[in-house]
Amino acid sequence: MSDLPPASTVKRWLVTTNHKDVGILYLVTALFFLLLGGVLALLIRVQLWTPGPSLLSGGAYNEAVTTHGLLMVFWFLSPFAFGFANYVVPLQIGAKDLAFPRLNALSYWAYVFSGLLMVISFFQGGTYDAGWTMYAPLNIPEYSPSVGGTTAVLALVLFVVSVTIGTVNFLVTIHRGRAEGMGMWNLPLFTWSILLTVWMMLFAFAALLGALLLLGSDRIVGTLYFTATGTGDSSLLWAHLFWFFGHPEVYIVFFPALGVMLEIFQTFSGRRLVGRKWVILAMILIAVQSFLVWMHHMFLTSINLEIKTLMMATTIGISLPFDLIVFALIYTLVKGRVQFTTPFLFSLGALLLFILGGITGVFLGATVLDYEFRGTYWVVAHFHYVMFGGATALFGALYYWYPKMTGRMYDEFLGKLHFGTFFVGFNLLYFPLFLAWETPRRVFEYNVELITWHQLATIGGFIVGASFLIMFYNLYVSYWNGEPVGENPWEFSRTAEWAIESPPPLENWPGRASYADGSLSFIETAPAHAADGGRATDGGVVSQFVEVREPTETELAHAEVHEDHASIWPFAIGLGVFVLFLGLSGLHAGELQGPHYLVAIAAGLGLSAYALLGFGLEEFNAPEALIAERWPFEGVGKTKLGVWFFLASDVVVFGAVIGAFVFIRAGMGWGAWETVPPDPLPGLVNTFVLLTSSFTVILALVAAERKSKRGLLAAMGATLALGFTFLGIKAWEWSYEFSVGIYPQTSIEASVYYVTTGLHGLHVVLGMLIALFMFARIYRSDAYLEDHRPVEFFGLYWHFVDIVWVFLFPLFYLM
Amino acid sequence: MYQTPVIPRPLAPLPRLPGDEWGTQVQLFEEIFVVFLVLGTIVGVVVVSYTLYNAYKYRDRGEESGEADRPVLGELPTGEGGGRKLFLSFFLSAVIVISLVAWTYGALLYVEAGPDDQGTDENLDVDVVGFQFGWEFEYPNGHSETNELRVPADRTVTLTFTATDVWHNFGIPELRVKADAIPGQTTETWFIAEETGEYTAWCFELCGVGHSDMVADVIVMEPEEWEEWYEDPEAYENGETDAEDESDVDEETDEEENGENDAAEDEPDDESEAVVTAVTR
Repeated sequence: MSDLPPASTVKRWLVTTNHKDVGILYLVTALFFLLLGGVLALLIRVQLWTPGPSLLSGGAYNEAVTTHGLLMVFWFLSPFAFGFANYVVPLQIGAKDLAFPRLNALSYWAYVFSGLLMVISFFQGGTYDAGWTMYAPLNIPEYSPSVGGTTAVLALVLFVVSVTIGTVNFLVTIHRGRAEGMGMWNLPLFTWSILLTVWMMLFAFAALLGALLLLGSDRIVGTLYFTATGTGDSSLLWAHLFWFFGHPEVYIVFFPALGVMLEIFQTFSGRRLVGRKWVILAMILIAVQSFLVWMHHMFLTSINLEIKTLMMATTIGISLPFDLIVFALIYTLVKGRVQFTTPFLFSLGALLLFILGGITGVFLGATVLDYEFRGTYWVVAHFHYVMFGGATALFGALYYWYPKMTGRMYDEFLGKLHFGTFFVGFNLLYFPLFLAWETPRRVFEYNVELITWHQLATIGGFIVGASFLIMFYNLYVSYWNGEPVGENPWEFSRTAEWAIESPPPLENWPGRASYADGSLSFIETAPAHAADGGRATDGGVVSQFVEVREPTETELAHAEVHEDHASIWPFAIGLGVFVLFLGLSGLHAGELQGPHYLVAIAAGLGLSAYALLGFGLEEFNAPEALIAERWPFEGVGKTKLGVWFFLASDVVVFGAVIGAFVFIRAGMGWGAWETVPPDPLPGLVNTFVLLTSSFTVILALVAAERKSKRGLLAAMGATLALGFTFLGIKAWEWSYEFSVGIYPQTSIEASVYYVTTGLHGLHVVLGMLIALFMFARIYRSDAYLEDHRPVEFFGLYWHFVDIVWVFLFPLFYLM
Repeated sequence: MYQTPVIPRPLAPLPRLPGDEWGTQVQLFEEIFVVFLVLGTIVGVVVVSYTLYNAYKYRDRGEESGEADRPVLGELPTGEGGGRKLFLSFFLSAVIVISLVAWTYGALLYVEAGPDDQGTDENLDVDVVGFQFGWEFEYPNGHSETNELRVPADRTVTLTFTATDVWHNFGIPELRVKADAIPGQTTETWFIAEETGEYTAWCFELCGVGHSDMVADVIVMEPEEWEEWYEDPEAYENGETDAEDESDVDEETDEEENGENDAAEDEPDDESEAVVTAVTR
């Protein structure tokens, strides 16, 4: 399946893998979740019109505040930003698509289906209600028992899967797919911000995935992670795991908006960014430092003064690079020709809101003040100014790139009206919350003296809501009646997306984009098209950048390769996992809530397996950048780099899970811990088995390089046999433990043992499935003899799984 | 009745002697908060006005005034000069932020260490246990109360927290008391109430369906009266003393409408708080 149906068909949007289509899908879906989260926000504001219960019960109110937070942070902010990233980043760096277009579509479908799980969770006896921070032990079934709560946790797991796939994709794309002549320093700032965002995401979301796997296991299997840590010295486990993710998440959400501001400020002031290099360095510094401040969310817990001092210092430290960026933005206006268009107004508004958010954040950085602000509306107002304030720039981005995406201009008057209403409403909504700061968070009872502020905020909330109706009306009307635009509606735009038609054609460029001679040109290789560039006729205006040149030999060799833009399998995989997760949500501490859930589990597994097989067997030629800047990964192939990035995030997942074990054990007394496996011998044998299988994988690669089908089959067969031996021993060990009454639910020791080695076992199973798939392909169609790289990629994964076991064996069998 | 002026002292030498000048948590918070608020407002107004001024001053008039090197489509991104001004502003803002926070560090040490009389007889220790959905207060003499904390005025009260089920967070906004109550952990804070009266303690960490209703009354009494209550709480509450006001207050709080009964003059309201420069005793 390779032909892309026209945009007017439904099928097109189910099968497309093109980055621009996926970008549009992301944007539309994210706006839907903005509406959903916004309605919940208005419910909250209505409840707060007067102190005391009114519209919602205590439980329903908790569901509203929880899902409002989850939906806005996860399902709106980042996906909205990544809609733009999908659309614009490949254009800005001169690429034809993302590195792995099908994975990009998969990432989108995982996102949609995770959101659908969230929506469904409302109808499963109530959704998750323990706050978006999901503090333990309120997050375990004992305190939040609804099936919908489990569904929401699984929805988050699927969301993180989506993020991880997207992250790997963007990292490979930006590092390896830049047009010739575009060094890292030359990346446009929006692309820079996305690059740093995905670097943070790679590690932060992996930590969240680790935490969610433990929580999911507590809820579904009935392990005791957060029951046990609710009593011992290790009760801060969840808070540490969550905030290790949670603080970088603030910048993950804010950076794309910052990137938009940096772009838009330049375009509408006609000035290049002041101190550009320093701004980039500041952003890199923030991205690194964001992993070193998480305990400032825990100042009032039992962490000691030394750690508090350190965290206070790093917190102040991280605010300083932002000062520099803010000033750089302001000075960029000086001597400019500032055009007050809608995108600029939104970006300027975002800057002003962020300044206020930043100043009020300094209050929170001072630990003594934080002691009093903790859990109050000061925090609520502050992070809305930062996060929603940042999102303000993203609405600017929507207007900025709307002409590029649709080929038509939005209505400027309605745009400005939207901005005016939004900005007034925003401040009316959130500023009074600073004045009513003594109100406790997530509480609908409050001191009646604060009623004026809360009522003003509620009015502001409805004004903000109404402003979006103007936006939707504008976007809709302009799509049909807007003034058609050419390539470039903005006077001072610089980046490559403005040098091509609006909307851009499927392959983006005539030929390939290049900055080799210092500025953008599109290099067409003459024989690929009819003599006198047939290209110049469609649009014609782009000719200014087009350069026709003799093709090089590599280009000639690839000239005939057909590029694919469609695949149904990403959608099918998403659907399969969705059904599977829906089924899993019906498991409550090991007990099935109804037979229909079992049906869903079986159907989901079957569909996922079928879809994964289809995905694996499909011939798909992603648009390939033959000539590109690849620093610092010149020597690493595309897929190999992807595997490396994925493994890096997997290291953090295991790090979180193993770290949880060490944290719990240390908290409960290292020596008092009972080792679960009665005998280390099976573990020792398994260690040898796995290490041997690492060796056979290397033999497989050698055989593939020598084009020996029999050698390859023998080595892969041996690997499979060793893998099955490992799993067999594992199964025997577990069944023995079950027979003597040691279950995952038995004790915290047993929980940790089963979950950690089980997660590793799951990695082994996944590796075996890939190995089986490869074995069958070698047997049936002589695969990998011409191109042995997939054997190498599998080997990387397999070695990683083996190395993890080398850590697990002593930790769980010997200590 | 006398007044203790609390003057913002941002330039005061950093290390203050514990218990020497910072006073109660209320005074300490007021002082630091006011300084932050004033400086924050000044910085905010200056930066926002400067931004708006520049945006307006350099608005597009449709023509170039003099030589200008405007960006062009397709150029490789580069930066503009102007780094010196950038670094000067950055340096200034860094100095303000760092010195402000460093200044508060002395206060943090003071709050962490607690006032001098902690651990002496002058100090009252109360164990607080958070549960779904209420607070249990246990006094040194073994007496315990649910959702009502009675303390004497002008005396250091040290609260030690834990929780039986999930995370809670205990806070009395008017007295600037706040602490997490975490199952399996103990945390501590202290406060001195200078004015008698009734205050409300709230739960500041989402803890389940009853989170919004998880309030406790905090009653600050004259020391002598408090002693009387402490000797024999039951007798006191059965009205065997002349504590007419107190029982009045109690009845009111039993009703749903809490917050209403806090007489306005008893406590500073939110607006005046920002500008309070004196604490009346």
